Amino acid sequence: MSDSTADTATPARPTPVDPRLLEILVCPVTKTELTYDRDAGELISRKAGLAYPIRDGIPIMLPDEARKLED
Amino acid sequence: MGNDAGHAFVAGHYAARAQDYVSSTTHSTGADLDQIEALLREVGHGADVLDLGCGGGHVSFRAAPHVARVVACDLTPSMLDAVASEARTRGLDNIEVRQGAAERLPFADAAFDLVLSRFSAHHWLGFEAGLCEARRVLRPQGHAVFIDTISPASGLLDTTLQSIELLRDASHVRNHTLADWVAALARAGLPVESVTPRRLPLEFAAWIARTATEALRVQAIRSLQATAPAEVRDYFRFSEDGSFEIDTACFVCRAG
Repeated sequence: MSDSTADTATPARPTPVDPRLLEILVCPVTKTELTYDRDAGELISRKAGLAYPIRDGIPIMLPDEARKLED
Repeated sequence: MGNDAGHAFVAGHYAARAQDYVSSTTHSTGADLDQIEALLREVGHGADVLDLGCGGGHVSFRAAPHVARVVACDLTPSMLDAVASEARTRGLDNIEVRQGAAERLPFADAAFDLVLSRFSAHHWLGFEAGLCEARRVLRPQGHAVFIDTISPASGLLDTTLQSIELLRDASHVRNHTLADWVAALARAGLPVESVTPRRLPLEFAAWIARTATEALRVQAIRSLQATAPAEVRDYFRFSEDGSFEIDTACFVCRAG
């Protein structure tokens, strides 16, 4: 996406996300729950095998912006 | 264009002009926003609200004081940054932002009491899919409010509107007719309780500045206006400076 390529460099310390804010969030592909990886600043969908980034505290819930999980 | 590529195109298109949408008076004022606020005074107490395709965040800003929580969702990250920053400025700490696509919402079933969506659906690549997603995330008996520009039923007027919209904004998908809306909402499980039609005057210079329409396309719009038959000129009320009027509608729906 044209505007996000400029800020792909993740901040040195990921902005923490309030766990309460994650309660209604699901994977947009599988509609199943997400696990918050605080250290990586990502929301993991095991079922879809995708890790959604959190940039500046904003969860980026787009499959084409997500990182594919190795296993 | 596949959905993901299409989404990236829409998001990129709006990225540079987020602040223009936050400060646009066309978007920040209006009887439709007053109507939303009146509904929220009635049913918004303690509610979880989704602002679907939040753009500059005007629905979120109006809704936040009346409800428990507003989740502002949009495809364009810089819009979300602008909304989050404006929410902080206004001291509205119950607005959260999420980047997502209307056709694939990242929210659990029945997560919201209200879904509000204003001037967004004409950008969706999947109109019906977006409406079905709105229904899915809504709790039973929850309200959904959709406000959008409406295409006239006449083929000639419809073609003129879509042409002007596409020339002005390359990310335009389609303005739907009133009949399309009512039928699609019913199919999505969101029967319409009320429809409020409104006429929206568009001041030409501000309207094209907001989308940074290139000169060639502006010229093409002016040419379409100048050569339009009387029926078309009368409907849109094209004026000397290119300003014109379009129809909008506010649909209030109730999930069964």
